Formats: sequence, C-alpha cells, structure tokens
Amino acid sequence: MKPFHKILFAFFAISFVSFSACNKDDEDSTKNPGVLSVFFDNKLGDQSISIKDYGDKTFDYMDTDGQEYNISLFAYYISAIELEGPDGIKHLDPLNVSANADEVTGYYHVISTTPNSNVINLKDIEAGTYDKIRFTVGVDESGVQEGAAGGVLDPANGAWFWNWNAGYIGFGVEGNASNSGQEYVDWGNGNETLEGTYAIHVGGWKDVEPEPGEDPKFVNNIKIIELDFDSNIRIEDGLNPEAHINVNFEELLKGIDFSTTYAIHRPDLGKPFAEKLVNVFELDHVHQ
Amino acid sequence: MKKRSLWTSPVLYWACFLLLICTSCSDDDEPIDPIDRYEFVVPENFPQPRYTFDNNPVTEEGFELGKELFYDPILSRDGSVSCNNCHIQATAFADSPIHPLSVGVDNRLGIRNAPSLTNMAFFPEFFWDGGVTHLDFVPINAIEAPFEFDETVENVVAKLNAKEKYKRMFRDAFGIEEITLPFALHALSQFTNMMVSANSKYDQYVRNEGASFSVLELEGMEIFQEKCASCHAGELFTDFSYRNNGLDSTFADTGRNQITALESDIGKFRVPSLRNVALTAPYMHNARFSTLKEVLDHYDDGMVHYETIDEIFVAQDGRLGIDLDENDKEAIITFLNTLTDTEFVRDTLFFRN
Repeated sequence: MKPFHKILFAFFAISFVSFSACNKDDEDSTKNPGVLSVFFDNKLGDQSISIKDYGDKTFDYMDTDGQEYNISLFAYYISAIELEGPDGIKHLDPLNVSANADEVTGYYHVISTTPNSNVINLKDIEAGTYDKIRFTVGVDESGVQEGAAGGVLDPANGAWFWNWNAGYIGFGVEGNASNSGQEYVDWGNGNETLEGTYAIHVGGWKDVEPEPGEDPKFVNNIKIIELDFDSNIRIEDGLNPEAHINVNFEELLKGIDFSTTYAIHRPDLGKPFAEKLVNVFELDHVHQ
Repeated sequence: MKKRSLWTSPVLYWACFLLLICTSCSDDDEPIDPIDRYEFVVPENFPQPRYTFDNNPVTEEGFELGKELFYDPILSRDGSVSCNNCHIQATAFADSPIHPLSVGVDNRLGIRNAPSLTNMAFFPEFFWDGGVTHLDFVPINAIEAPFEFDETVENVVAKLNAKEKYKRMFRDAFGIEEITLPFALHALSQFTNMMVSANSKYDQYVRNEGASFSVLELEGMEIFQEKCASCHAGELFTDFSYRNNGLDSTFADTGRNQITALESDIGKFRVPSLRNVALTAPYMHNARFSTLKEVLDHYDDGMVHYETIDEIFVAQDGRLGIDLDENDKEAIITFLNTLTDTEFVRDTLFFRN
C-alpha cells in the first residue's frame, strides 16, 4: 500500500473511531489487515517424510506391528480456512469455485510433488488477536456441486478427482510396504500398479440423511479440523506471524494391516481413515 | 432464464412475434428476442432445471464450441470416436440400435446402453448408476474410460491448445488465451443443456396447444398413470430413483451398488426418462429388449427375483410384475409414441457445422 493511501486510510479510520463511540477495539481498527502463513509440516511420527520412488523397497519407517513402509506420494485438500480470536474476531478465507483458475480461491492442494504447496499464505486478515484455526480437509458439497473448476480443482491440472463417483480425493497417500498384499497389475497404455505398493485414497462428500429404516446412501468423509493455538498471535500489517501444523501420517496408518488393506479407492472403505484425520492434524506451535 | 412455452410452429411463432410488437409489453423488462435460439428456456410444463447456470450461462459462442467438441473425435485417444458416436440426434441423442452397448476406441465394447441426452439440464444425477452429480463432470468419464475414448484429460487439453480453430473458439466463447479443461467442460454442458425436448404431441396436449389425443392414446395415458407413473413420474417421466426391475437374478454389473457400496443397491439402476422412448431402442441398462412390446412383456410376466427387487413389483401372493393384458400394452405403447419430439430430433440447431 502506498504511503498516501495509508495516510488516507488512517484519516478515515481515525474519523470512524472518533465518531463511533462503541468501537470495541480502538487499537485494532487503526491497523491495516495482515497476513498469516500456515505451514503444514508433513511427518511420519517424529521424522520428516522422505519421499521414495514408487516401487522403491528401501524402508525408512517401521510401525509398532513390525510393518516396514515408506511414502512415495501424498496429497490433500485444505479449504474453508477460518481464524478466530478470543474477543470474537473472525476471519473467513474467501471460498470461490470458478472455471477460471485465477478466480478459484480458498482451496489449497498440498501435494508432495509440488514444492511449497504445504505453505498457505492467508491475506487480508482483519487486524487483531487470534487463537484458533479451523479448516476443512477435502472439498465439500459446495465445492463439488458448482461443476467444472480450474486451478487446484482442475483434473487436467493435477487435481485428485474421482471420475465415476464424482468428487475430489480429500486425503491420499501412496507408498511401498514390506508386507503389502498388492500384486502387479497392468492397466494398459503404460499404467500399472506395482507389486508391494499401497494406495489409500479418502474421498466421498455427500451427506444424505437416510430414510427411516434405510441405510445411508453416501459416506461423507469431509472432516473439519479445529486447532487451538498454543499462544495468541497478533495479525496486522507489517507483522509476519506463522502457524505450524503437523500432519502426521503415522496417525493415519496406525493399525493398518498392509497385507489386506492396500488399495482404498471407495468412500466407504476410506471412512475408517477419514475418522483418523482428527488425530493426523495437530498444532505444533505458532510464533510472531 | 425465463419460463415460457416453446414456439410450436412457424405460424404461431410469427403470430406471437406480431403480438409482441403490437402490445409491446411482456412479463420481463427485457424484450424477448424471438431469434435468440441460444437462450435456455424452461418449458411451461417442466420443473426448474438443476444445472448451475449462474456460473455457466448459455451463449452462442459457448454453445457452438460445445457442439464442435461434441462432434470432434479429437477427444479420443486415437481420434476415432466422438461423443456423437454413441449419442445421435436422430435417436434423441441416445445410441443407434446397431450399438446396443457403447463402442469405443479399438472397437472396445462398453458395458451399458448409452442413454438419451435430452433434458439433462433437469437431471440431478447422471449415468445409469448416478455416480456423477453434476453435468460438467459427465464427459470426463467418456474421455478417460478405457472402453470409451481411452484418453487423458491432460492430453485432450494439450491437443485442443495445438489447434488454432479451438484457440479462437475458446477466446470467443470465454475470453481465455490458454484452453483449460473446465472451460471445455462448460462448453460441452452448454451444448447439452440446450437439448431440451418438450414439444412432443404429449406436450402440446398437456399445454393445451391444440393437439388432441385419440381414444387409444387417452386410454394408454390412463393405464400409464395408474401402472407406470409411480416410477416414471412427472413431466420428465422419471423420479430419478434407482430400482431393481427384475432383469436378472445375478448381476455382473451391480449398478447403483458401485457408487454406494451397499448390498441393498445391487442390481439397481436409474429409472430412465421415457421422453422420445420410441426412438431410443434397445431398452434397459444392458440393452436387453429391442422393442417396447418386449419391455412391457417383461413387466407383465418376465421378471425374475433377486433380493433387491423393488417391492412395487411384488404382489401379496409373491407374484412378480405388473398386470397388463395385450390391450393395455398396445394402449401404453400408443401413448408412449406421443412422447416423441420430432421437431427436436430434426432441430438444425444441433446439426454439425
């Protein structure tokens, strides 16, 4: 923002404050909106993830059941991010679906093949004190039912999308496991599934209340995660606060038996994993 | 989007046009332009559309681009198959009877009969199993299914970007310099959304536009309403539910179950719309029957039991089916013939350029 605008803004802000006696937070109303960088730090237990090639049988991790595994690819959607403060201040990251990639906002695809996709820079946040973050893992009905979308929601641009049971894969991880039951499959046209691999794809967005006595028709695996900050942070123009969130894949894969569970590609099969997402995301720390 | 009846004949068309000029007042603030053939119009007797027109309104340029894509085999891996291969205007954009199951690249055989595309703008879900919930996402399946186009969406976008013709058409339609998938899908939806078929004899009859039904057609309509309309409901002649109508006692293609993963959905398929049904043979998801008579014979005494069979077909004594005598069948078929919209299947708007 240019200095002149700053002065102009300050002038209006001051006039506003002086005319409205009931403003709660005089200090904040004179500050310009700020930013917050949210880091999603992907981990396997307490280690950072080292991405292996698909089919690579060098394992750098062993779980408590003695299964050795690694990760070759992961991706997840973060959307509808909200911040809240102790005084009731609230920020909603604007959410918009459009065919035009430049107009798609509020949907983020953290994907292991795209460097820095794990850092989400939130902008235009009203100046204030914040102590809580809330976000959706996946793309919910409001994102799917607008139809074809660009940017991170474009299947021709790297979006993780299910064609036949249409919707986005909210959380996915693939890798190799010492005891995976996966056999080699040749799908034709150069597509193949390698022996000893695994793929856990969690999707499904539809929330239909069943008729009385009827089974639910669709499994909704969209999860909303709410994390309290370990301390309050100030957000205002000129400050560069950060929130660091651990995304611990060990929590997602805890208790899995790779000999029988190695290809999850359906909403109902993904449900047990979706239920674990609340433990996968945890706040590490925030700092100014 | 305005709600008004379709123009039915050139005479009526001009009469209305003159009326408009003379009265110079209409329901809307904007004057109705009778030569705007690219406006999506909700027929008077239809429900409201389900498509999200707010973010993809139909325009002439978008429609014409969608048409170009629809008829262009560039969407398939080897340039051999277009949407039009399985969706032909003469059969109300269903497949030709010579392809009971869809035929894709390398003459690969699909697993289901390609349904009519008419009135898709009013549909909440798509395909025989309802796995797709927005019209925009439908073509992705045709493009990437190995037994249809066997192509990737990434490659389609690259092929389109390499063609000057498409660069120009996308620029004209959407103001974009680089072609992306969502705009291609929007163009295809614009073309498909305009496939509103609502000018059959039946429509002209229910809208009191001068058509009259014969005794047999009236009798057929009454029997239909009594015995068929609980599923083939409303003006689109479907309630969009998924039901097992007794075709088989085992199911290689499990239908709705492929989407919901529920055992109670094995063997269930969407109740199809019956608009233009006389043109869309063969019938059922697996093209089991070649004629409407065979279909009615099936409902009369051909149904077989499987545990998910729809209870509407099960009589108190356990007998399956719908009681229909030969006269009933003749009358119903006579009525179903009134659902054929000849004007639609000959509409030059949809002709390949």
